Amino acid sequence: MRTRLVATMVLCAAVLVVAPFVGPAMPDDARDFILWQLRVPRTLMALLVGGTLSLVGAVYQSLFANPLAAPSTVGTTAGATLGALVAIVLGARAAVWGLPLVAAAAFAGALGVSLAVAAIAAGRAVRMNDLVLAGIAFSMGAGAISTGVQYSADAAELLAATRWTMGHLPQVGYQGVVLLLPVVVVTVVGLLALTRALEVFIAGEEHAESQGVDVRRVRMVAIGLGALGVAGCVAWCGPIAFVELIVPHIVRRVLGVSRRVLLPCSVVVGAAFLVLCDAGTRVVFPGREPPVGLVTAALGAPLLVYLVARRST
Amino acid sequence: MSALLEVSGATVRKGGRVLLDDVSLRVAPGDFVAVVGPNGAGKTTLMRVALGLQRPDAGRATVRGRDVSALSPRERAAFVAWLPQRVQVSEPITALEHVAAARYRFQEPRRRSEEAAREALSRVQAEALAARPVTELSGGEQQRVAVAALLAQEAPWVLLDEPANFLDPAQQLELYALVGRLWRAGKGVLCITHDINVLAHALEPGAAGRLRVVGLAGGRVAFESHYDAPELGAELGRVFGVRMGDVRVEGRRVFVGLPVERSGA
Repeated sequence: MRTRLVATMVLCAAVLVVAPFVGPAMPDDARDFILWQLRVPRTLMALLVGGTLSLVGAVYQSLFANPLAAPSTVGTTAGATLGALVAIVLGARAAVWGLPLVAAAAFAGALGVSLAVAAIAAGRAVRMNDLVLAGIAFSMGAGAISTGVQYSADAAELLAATRWTMGHLPQVGYQGVVLLLPVVVVTVVGLLALTRALEVFIAGEEHAESQGVDVRRVRMVAIGLGALGVAGCVAWCGPIAFVELIVPHIVRRVLGVSRRVLLPCSVVVGAAFLVLCDAGTRVVFPGREPPVGLVTAALGAPLLVYLVARRST
Repeated sequence: MSALLEVSGATVRKGGRVLLDDVSLRVAPGDFVAVVGPNGAGKTTLMRVALGLQRPDAGRATVRGRDVSALSPRERAAFVAWLPQRVQVSEPITALEHVAAARYRFQEPRRRSEEAAREALSRVQAEALAARPVTELSGGEQQRVAVAALLAQEAPWVLLDEPANFLDPAQQLELYALVGRLWRAGKGVLCITHDINVLAHALEPGAAGRLRVVGLAGGRVAFESHYDAPELGAELGRVFGVRMGDVRVEGRRVFVGLPVERSGA
């Protein structure tokens, strides 16, 4: 197990270092610009987003004791989509404090909806399955409003909205990285601090409560911080599919379910995974740069199916 | 300040039904109190009140004079540990990790938690299970590991909710022998069961100590007695709605349910 851990970490580090150099050959005169102004900041962005999404996925799966739990479970994705749609229809070129309006609105939407679910999680008698249902209800509500907004949009706005929901790593330079970094640090540090409590959660919530875990507080903090991190990522990148679902399951199958391994390794593997997918878009479609969400699903789904099938034989 | 785990006048209602009706109970350190009664008598509700997981509509549960529901979860875990019918571990963590997780209430380095967990596992002769995934253990082994977790939590009171419900006879015997050892080591034990005979395994023939038996029926305390009281059979019979005879086998008292004789039938 220890050798596997070391091998995984070395592999991830290698991916992170090599990724910016992967892609169509860079012409000599533009080499510095492409590498340092385009590829490196994008790699950094992928690193932050991949690590955060994967950790939040791992935490939600532990918290809800549900292997399918993801940020979309508590309405984060639906809220972000609603926010972005409203911004696109209102006029996407506007900016709030130097932040593109779409990003700001997506952030607000994601955070708003998930905090409403977190507020329900604060209830004493609420069970985890009720929370999943509440998340679905909020998602459907936000989805209905989104449909209404889409109905009133024109063709160009619709195209922009559809593009946005595919999930992409934007060309935002270092500014986006710097804006996202504090959100990511707060989320990752805060969620990793819950590791011990989430270990106790494995034997059920009431049992955890009897062993001294403040279940309601852990729920609220985990959902709140998770929503914050995901909102930050979604604001820039749109909903990137499957990362938060696939990476924790890959880590769990390769390195084990121990929370002390699963949570930090999800951060590292998630970061490397998204960086790899981003590099993949440059190789498979040179010059076209399709949404990275396409590659995460195309690469992650077969990998997960392989791991599931291998385990069950 | 009394050194007791005490439920006084606890009443719990749910949707017009009275689950628990003015129930009082005291468990001192070194006491073994068995709560027996048919299914639906309110046994589990009583335990949830004592654990602070259920707030009573009237009355209260206190530990060392402090209201259980006013304690923080960590403070409460320092007083009372809980063994459910079956610990539902949802993922294949190792037995060692599972036991170490019971040390949550201590703010201590990981290494110390693991040491304490190993020690607890060896006290229930389960060192060999330490590295095995909990989900792959047999029911008996799982409960043995769960008892190790109780020990690791180091609470002076342990609350057991039908802990041998899913176990075969050999595992039942082994589990209750362990519970008996916890009791003789000075813990206050509150144990729920509808099977009176498992309690015999907790008693060591010839050893001192009286096992108190509280009968619960329809949410009320029907009787308070002890395991070697001559009238216990008759009282159990009334609570369960059968005749209850008793015999002694190798020094252990065993109760047998018999059909009620119907007059005129």
